[in-house]
Amino acid sequence: MKPRALGLIARRTGRRFLSSVPALVGVVVFTFILMRVLPGDPAVFFASGPNAGKAEIEAIRSQMGLDKPMAEQLFYYVRDIGTGNLGRSLTTGQTVSKDLASRLPASLELTFVALALALTLAIPLGVLAALRPGSLVDHGVRLLCTLGVCVPTFVSGLLLIYCFYYWLGIAPDPTGRLDVFTTEPPRITGFLLIDALAAGDWEAWSAAARQLVLPAATMALFVLAPLARITRASMLAVLGSDYIRTAEGLGLSRPRIIIGYALRNGLLPVLTIAGIVFSTMLGANVLVEKVFSWPGVAAYALDALLSSDYAPVQGFVLLMATIFVIVNLTIDVLYGIADPRIGME
Amino acid sequence: MLFSRRQIAFLAAGLLASVSFLANPAAVTAQTRAETLRQVTGGMINTLDPTAPGSTRESFGLSMSTYDRLFAFDRKKNGDGWIFDFNSIRGELAESYKISEDGLKIIVTLRKDATFHDGSPVTADDVKWSLDRAVTAKSLAGPQLTTGSLDKADQFKVIDPLTIEISLPKPDRLAMPNLAVVYPIIINSKVAKQHATPEDPWAQAWLKENTAGSGAYIVESWKPGEQVVLKRNENWKSGREGKLAFFKRVIAQTIPEAATRANLVERGDADISVDLPSSDVPGLMERGKVKVVSTPQFNALTLIVFATRIPPFDNKKVRQAIAAALPYGDMFKGALFGRGNPLQNGTWNGEPSEAKFPQNMPVKTDLARAKQLLTEAGYPNGFETTFSFNVGSAATAEPMAALIKESLLKVGVKVDIQKQPDAQMSTSVTEKKLPFFTESIISWIAAPDYYFRNFFTGEQRWNYSSWNNPDINSLSQAARFETNQAKYDEIIKKMVAIEADETPVVLLWQPNQDAVMAPSIEDYTYQFHRQVDFRDMLRK
Repeated sequence: MKPRALGLIARRTGRRFLSSVPALVGVVVFTFILMRVLPGDPAVFFASGPNAGKAEIEAIRSQMGLDKPMAEQLFYYVRDIGTGNLGRSLTTGQTVSKDLASRLPASLELTFVALALALTLAIPLGVLAALRPGSLVDHGVRLLCTLGVCVPTFVSGLLLIYCFYYWLGIAPDPTGRLDVFTTEPPRITGFLLIDALAAGDWEAWSAAARQLVLPAATMALFVLAPLARITRASMLAVLGSDYIRTAEGLGLSRPRIIIGYALRNGLLPVLTIAGIVFSTMLGANVLVEKVFSWPGVAAYALDALLSSDYAPVQGFVLLMATIFVIVNLTIDVLYGIADPRIGME
Repeated sequence: MLFSRRQIAFLAAGLLASVSFLANPAAVTAQTRAETLRQVTGGMINTLDPTAPGSTRESFGLSMSTYDRLFAFDRKKNGDGWIFDFNSIRGELAESYKISEDGLKIIVTLRKDATFHDGSPVTADDVKWSLDRAVTAKSLAGPQLTTGSLDKADQFKVIDPLTIEISLPKPDRLAMPNLAVVYPIIINSKVAKQHATPEDPWAQAWLKENTAGSGAYIVESWKPGEQVVLKRNENWKSGREGKLAFFKRVIAQTIPEAATRANLVERGDADISVDLPSSDVPGLMERGKVKVVSTPQFNALTLIVFATRIPPFDNKKVRQAIAAALPYGDMFKGALFGRGNPLQNGTWNGEPSEAKFPQNMPVKTDLARAKQLLTEAGYPNGFETTFSFNVGSAATAEPMAALIKESLLKVGVKVDIQKQPDAQMSTSVTEKKLPFFTESIISWIAAPDYYFRNFFTGEQRWNYSSWNNPDINSLSQAARFETNQAKYDEIIKKMVAIEADETPVVLLWQPNQDAVMAPSIEDYTYQFHRQVDFRDMLRK
């Protein structure tokens, strides 16, 4: 790619990033107000020790700053975000930034592996279905996708646990990222697979990988449908276009046409969907995280929400919004690479 | 691409290592596995200091093993298992104690050989600092210890390095038990003071994340909300008969999904779980791979609450009518799967024969009587109301609510069921806005007068029914300082009789705690804090 094109992409990225700042601010204010409008007083909830009286509730309320007017609370919150302070979680007793920092890699690692697994399954399946529309293969793919999207993740998760852990005994116990008897590799990125590799600790690497298989499969199954279906649809459209006919007329080999010409052009919509799927997975994998005791951010936010613990929920939403922005940017950049015309605008 | 010889050797070694690991992962750990106890729980440990506001029950349970207190409740046999004995208190860090004739002074002699985890001896100064902290610092401890007349620092006096004197304004029956509950932990004051600041004189911030105790176990690692690993304190002297804890290592892990917890215990990968839903327990027992120790929770109680200040429940007859219309048998079977101790069908009238609370109350399902009482109360055609419960207790409360709705409809009362998130429910309960709901009470101090004072008087959240009965108010206060057992019993019987007649709440049952464990685990003890006490158990 020419330097000029790269510069264009960089400029566009910068512009897009700036234009998403108001959205982020909106998200912060909206979550802030929403959390306070929802019924449930965190001070009362956390003062649930025996004999917790009015005085204790008041003490917790002032400790949390909830006795101040809402506008003032918002002001302090925004100021704190500016300094990177997201507040403290009452559920875990830790600062929210520390919690999120330790839990985000867990969610990201799981999501990346699941997405990779889903893509490696979905794209070939979609292509196969598109090559023979209406055939047995097509129907088979459709059935698999429907099943995947119909069965809720906690059902498929529990089913997989039941089969592979409880019944067959092949899978390790579904209790988080590493089984309790394995020592964790020194933390560098927080991604266990990478950290273990960096430390040359094969035992930890294989333990972490084994723990990943079931939850990643559960999630991959769930997002198989949108990915495979969009691959099929876009391949069908591409295969019917003029340049494919031309390529066939020129006598190019079949694999070259399908992979080299059709798939490259057909992948654009898949890329968009993959971006959306990724963001959704990250936020919506709360059930998978719960079932597999995965110490991720979604489960963390849900626990906090149930106990009206404001700071973690706000921190989580802000984090998700930021990730969404970044993912969309990345997709845009990838677009530019996959389709040079877009970069030239 | 070509690999160098070194790369190939490296790859092969890695492959070999992972293959051998996959083939026999247990071999590495088998030796220590028997000496390790692995507990799985749905809750989480969020602080190492049990007095910190917001502490979870699991944090309470953990602190029993990491810290010692002056006293501890003994245990007694209950069927095949053990339960804590509220009426028998033994010294933990206290080697012996004397109570003065007038009951106003408790003189405690400490163990000579007790040491903190850093090796320094436990002295009377540490005890004084710790108890001062418990009653002075803003924490959960203060309000609890007040119920035992312990609320000022000058009540604790150091006599000599091994003797401490505790003085009371009145001979309070509950002073000793209060020194044996979760909160009055004895902290290594020398260590804690190093981390105290002018804003935080009691080192509360530091102790939330660190321990400085003398307990049976030392915290090896702690990931908040995920797991804690403990190692045995080999110098522990405060145990029953001076014995060390059995397990060399304890892992307490948070596993949110109950089905997964059950699987883990059944597969033998985890050793114990005490928070599986009662609906799962019969299946687990049938498959027979695990041992289940079921204990009715003697210090817990499920209630149906009437708001005695909101119409129509301000009318005693309405409360009695609803109490007679509740489908007790169906609820016990349908919602609790019969796993507990029901509290109806008491055979007494007027005053009970036993000075006990909770006990079986003289209520039973009697729709004709309910109908008649409603007519007398001026509601011959019934009324409409709401029935609330929190999401956290939905497993039993949801079927219960459905059965109540069905049964009350037969006497003309239309019930709208409201399921509320826990935080919302506790707010509504504290603000006393709900007319008719179910709640549970748990009391570390299993004394009848304590129940009445905390759950049936006053304006705080725990007086769920907002009951304000002048007789109960004065009797429950009188009972607290009554040293004559016969007189005490009389007061309790009187209070139970008033409760039965006025019906501010209906006592439903004491649910079982089903501790599901590996068959090799012995001596599980049901403790007042309802958590696993790692010090009690052993592996056969």
